Amino acid sequence: MAIVEQPSTSVEARELEAGPRHASPDEALGVFKRPQGDTGWRSWLFTVDHKKIGIMYGAAALFFFLIGGVEALIIRTQLAAPEQELISADLYNQLFTMHGVTMIFLVVMPIGSAFMNYLIPLQIGARDVAFPRLNAFSFWCFLFGGIFFNSSWFLGGGTADGGWFAYAPNTSVVFSPSHGMDFYAIGLQITGIATLVGAVNLIATCLNLRAPGMTLMKMPVFTWMSLVTQFLLLFAMPVISVALFLLTFDRLFGANFFNVSAGADPLLWEHLFWIFGHPEVYIMILPAFGIVSETLPVFARKPIFGYEFIVFSGAAIGFMGWGVWAHHMFASGMGPISVAAFAVSTMFIAVPTGVKILNWMATMWGGKLSFTTPMLFSIGLVTMFTIGGLSGVSHAVAPADTQQTDTYYIVAHFHYVLFGGALFAFVGGFYYWWPKAFGLMLRENLGKAHFWVMLLGFNLTFGPMHVLGLQGMPRRTHSYFDGYGFNVWNMVATIGAYLIALSFLIFFWNIFVSWRDSKKVGWVPPGPDPWDARTIEWMTASPAPSHNFDHVPVVTHRDEFWYRKYGETDDHRIVRIAAAEEVAQTGARTDVHLPAPSYWPIVLCASFPLIGWGLIFNLGIAFVGGAIALLALFGLAMEPADDPDAGHGDHHDDHHGPDAGPEAAAADADADKEATLVD
Amino acid sequence: MHRFRPLTSRRVRGLGLLTAAGLLLSGCGNISLDGDTPQTTLEPKGPVAEKIDGLWDLTFWMAVVVFILVEFGVLFVAWKFRKRKDDTGEELPEQLHGNTKLEIGWTALPAVILAFLAVFTVSTVLDIAEEPEDSTRIRVVGQQWWWSYDYDLDGDGVYADDDVVQTGIENPEEYETDIEVANEMVIPAGEPVYLEIESRDVIHSFWIPALNGKKDAVPGRTHFLSIEADEPGTFIGQCTEFCGLSHAYMRMVVHALPRDEYDAWIDGQLEDAAEPESPEAAAGQEVFSQRCASCHLVDGLNTEEYNGATVVAGAAPNLTHVASRGSFAGSIFPLWRDTDGNDVVDWDEIGGELNRNQLEAWLRNPPEEKPMAADDNRGMPNLGLSEADIDSLVAYLTSLD
Amino acid sequence: MTDTAPAHTAPTAGPGPDQLDGVDLESWGLGTNNATGLTNTKLGMWLFLGSDCLLFGALISTYLLLRHRGTGIGPEDVFDIPFTSVSSFVLLMSSMSMVFAVSAIARGEDQKLRLWLLVTALLGGTFIAGQVYEFTSFYREGLGYTTNLFSSAFYSLTGFHGVHVSVGIVMLMALFFMSLTGRLKQDRAEAVEVVGLYWHFVDIVWVLIFTIVYLIP
Repeated sequence: MAIVEQPSTSVEARELEAGPRHASPDEALGVFKRPQGDTGWRSWLFTVDHKKIGIMYGAAALFFFLIGGVEALIIRTQLAAPEQELISADLYNQLFTMHGVTMIFLVVMPIGSAFMNYLIPLQIGARDVAFPRLNAFSFWCFLFGGIFFNSSWFLGGGTADGGWFAYAPNTSVVFSPSHGMDFYAIGLQITGIATLVGAVNLIATCLNLRAPGMTLMKMPVFTWMSLVTQFLLLFAMPVISVALFLLTFDRLFGANFFNVSAGADPLLWEHLFWIFGHPEVYIMILPAFGIVSETLPVFARKPIFGYEFIVFSGAAIGFMGWGVWAHHMFASGMGPISVAAFAVSTMFIAVPTGVKILNWMATMWGGKLSFTTPMLFSIGLVTMFTIGGLSGVSHAVAPADTQQTDTYYIVAHFHYVLFGGALFAFVGGFYYWWPKAFGLMLRENLGKAHFWVMLLGFNLTFGPMHVLGLQGMPRRTHSYFDGYGFNVWNMVATIGAYLIALSFLIFFWNIFVSWRDSKKVGWVPPGPDPWDARTIEWMTASPAPSHNFDHVPVVTHRDEFWYRKYGETDDHRIVRIAAAEEVAQTGARTDVHLPAPSYWPIVLCASFPLIGWGLIFNLGIAFVGGAIALLALFGLAMEPADDPDAGHGDHHDDHHGPDAGPEAAAADADADKEATLVD
Repeated sequence: MHRFRPLTSRRVRGLGLLTAAGLLLSGCGNISLDGDTPQTTLEPKGPVAEKIDGLWDLTFWMAVVVFILVEFGVLFVAWKFRKRKDDTGEELPEQLHGNTKLEIGWTALPAVILAFLAVFTVSTVLDIAEEPEDSTRIRVVGQQWWWSYDYDLDGDGVYADDDVVQTGIENPEEYETDIEVANEMVIPAGEPVYLEIESRDVIHSFWIPALNGKKDAVPGRTHFLSIEADEPGTFIGQCTEFCGLSHAYMRMVVHALPRDEYDAWIDGQLEDAAEPESPEAAAGQEVFSQRCASCHLVDGLNTEEYNGATVVAGAAPNLTHVASRGSFAGSIFPLWRDTDGNDVVDWDEIGGELNRNQLEAWLRNPPEEKPMAADDNRGMPNLGLSEADIDSLVAYLTSLD
Repeated sequence: MTDTAPAHTAPTAGPGPDQLDGVDLESWGLGTNNATGLTNTKLGMWLFLGSDCLLFGALISTYLLLRHRGTGIGPEDVFDIPFTSVSSFVLLMSSMSMVFAVSAIARGEDQKLRLWLLVTALLGGTFIAGQVYEFTSFYREGLGYTTNLFSSAFYSLTGFHGVHVSVGIVMLMALFFMSLTGRLKQDRAEAVEVVGLYWHFVDIVWVLIFTIVYLIP
């Protein structure tokens, strides 16, 4: 790793020097010139810009969301009525496994990554993340991992069919003879590498690259929650990595880790999986909490209530999240003492979560609430997540959980947490930051329609599952019998699922028509600060220029941007002292040195699926993949730190400073807009 | 597919989350909109399940209170502090940054509530984990996709089918003193029963909601669970740990009988299989010996030479007294026709009119009737039996009461 | 305390360019004025090593859980403690030579730097050779990877460590050749320091593994 990053170090070294410096020819090494250009498809494939990477994370995650969503619709269609045989039990088992893994690892986590990549550098006043090329590596690694995992639909003789939790020994070759579980183990290993590298990168970014004056306790809440999330990932990913290695070795090389006849204990997998799996829950929800903590204050026109409590409760969740994993195993046969201990610890993790809910209510209290689409989705999270939290407490009551676990009650619970929680906030975040990322607003009327249809569809789908679970309907069953009282509620849930699908059709339609609006004559761009926001990502142009800030802002307050727009009069009234346009930077500067794009992250990551397929089918392919990986690593290590001929934008490398001429500024702004709008 | 609908239907008290209009809570009431809910967790029929249910009620009503406070609180705040139409937006609301006392208060309050709940939780966990005194011990073994139940009647700590998986029967004499049944468990009503739960292949989970919560059956481990039925009756449940292809079709039935009937049942089960009386049944026995006996054990017929089934789990249902049971094939098919109109095989309906079509369909092609991986030696394969063979087999099997 | 009063005063920064006396804002966050005082690279390595602790933690736990559960050949049947002690000693010595390499580049002594890098890599290589020999002899004694629970767990744990050492050797040799071609000078001493961090970590992990796997019965 250290080797790989040497050139970055010298980017930094070079930045430190007073003026621009051309790389000497022997540094450039001929064939390893770095790619150039801010526009066109190459500018996306080879980019190291955290904003483009963030946008690609979001786009890829929405693509996987469509796949996972279709899987969910097929599942719900099969379960619409009792004893249906629309799909076979085998296909059903594959579908719910793929749906779970896709939604968790390829949708919710990467949407979180999309926001974190795009926003963290902007929120802390940095030019980019700490390791831009590693950031590109993370994205491509995730994308190729996701593609590899889904390639099992065509290559594996059946996809993974052991559930996302993949309990041994049901995942061994004997009980899952298709290659599906191999794709699961290796695919998640690949996306895990992406996640781990991303965690190192974003933690270093948060800790090191904050603008002067931005102490930790001045960081925006979203960045704070992201930092906690990345620490959770940093320590959780290696544990699931080990579990997946053991599974891979068992399946491909005949190791004995989960071989019961050799004396193995299947609970080993359960513990390893949930030591990762429970922090994973908070990994998925904490960024959503961060988003809500950004949007509620903006639309209540008040600061977040109890910033310290919000931050510390987030950190407390991060710590306590390590001590509750076995509440997934209350029926697994642990001793009563363990059960009691984990029940108690699980109850108390509800405390910091409850604190957040109450602080959000207090943020709204006394405000002047405007119910924009992001605000609606944020309130949606507060109300829906509360339901998931309350059912969560009922699982902490371990004896009651032995009735609830592995029934639809659990399915209801975690969808209220992950859909009603994470996804509501993420969709709200899309609406909120869309103008920052693309320089155009999504239509409010369609956004509100999206919200209400989604809220209705969501509750119709998952609300009845509480009842079904308590009536004794087990989860992961491809069919159910007539006469158990399951029929009506299942039909309602299926109708709800189609409503959710409809709501996302509205969303995608909104994206399209809003983009089309922006091409019309007379369209007015939203400007840097359409929401009258508080944090400094809004203090630069929309869309954010590739160098983020013309000048690194010096931070004196939490909500720095707000304090530059508003002041207090002598009679203690809060008044606006500056328009957003006066405060915000224009993003017109063209002479900021940025890390150059690189060919190698995508090449390196493209080799991973080859290695994976090779391990499963034919080692020869793996050697080809390994050779490509070695070449790419060599390329990464040897490529010059920067391309001497390329700057950012279509400008020259000379230093013309912040007082660049207006023409140059306008031309550059156009170039940036074009670059960012390509999607 | 025929359905199996045992006789535990009662009106169901339940949780109501009316969702159509959003988030209105209707509290307790019958929320099954289509009839009985025989597998519900909310109608306990035994002391352990009743303790759990009491704890659930406490949790539920506490949650309801919090739910109402928070949800209506949010809606109220949103309504009260909405931006008015005449608001120009120039005047900002008071910029309140926090209130430490208030926040400490609402950190402590949920902690206290949860501590209260934790006390009841911990005491219940420890309480229901204890082995009841003077209990009947039954070993429950899960395998893909049915359950077997072993009774160590002579109390020597050895079960009849110990080691059957690897080595065949080591202790044929145990079959004289112990019993092994499949699919349906019979227990004495009003007495504690202590279960030893094991698995022969993957992880399953044993669950009779009316009698207790679930407990995983993990290969290589033995887990314990106590159940007790207050009254005689038939209780159903279903495997609740995902166990592969036919996870949905791995069901369980418990018949609780008065003590004297239970003792009579034990005596009946201890006997060797009945010898066929009709020529048809005798022909069936011949077919059985040739086509079925390599996997299925019938005491008195193939005890001596039985070597375990050639499936991954190593065992197939013991059919010695198959006709004394109400269901077959993982308890998903009723063996007898229902007589009281509710399509349920109750204890007193066993031995009535045979559900012949379903039994014949099963013998004709089992993988067609229930998803199984017979090609991978998991589940019953299609034996390609002739119609004549099937008829005589049915005659033989129904004579095994 | 009830801080209902607006906790802010009239803006201090206000609209306009940001300035801060005595701080080079152009290079903020890119060099030594990082918020933590550590460079990104070094901080990144620390974070990675923190994560790696959990990787080995999980592997060691797995080994401890499984080693006595299976049947057949066990640890006490195959371990050659004196031999492994020697190779452990070799690995420990490599940590010392690594320290010399770091201090050599800090003083700008390229010759010494290359010498100590090479010595470190050679000592690491000796350890790996010892591990290969050990695995081979275990295999001859009938302990294959798939033999039993102990063998799977043992080979996986020590194998993962061996891979870590090998990656370290590759990094050391890369530094060596960079120095040889004049691309590793005193101004990039941190590169050696960061590789050193990794190397010491791998050594410490071996001390743990040697103690837990070999010495504690």
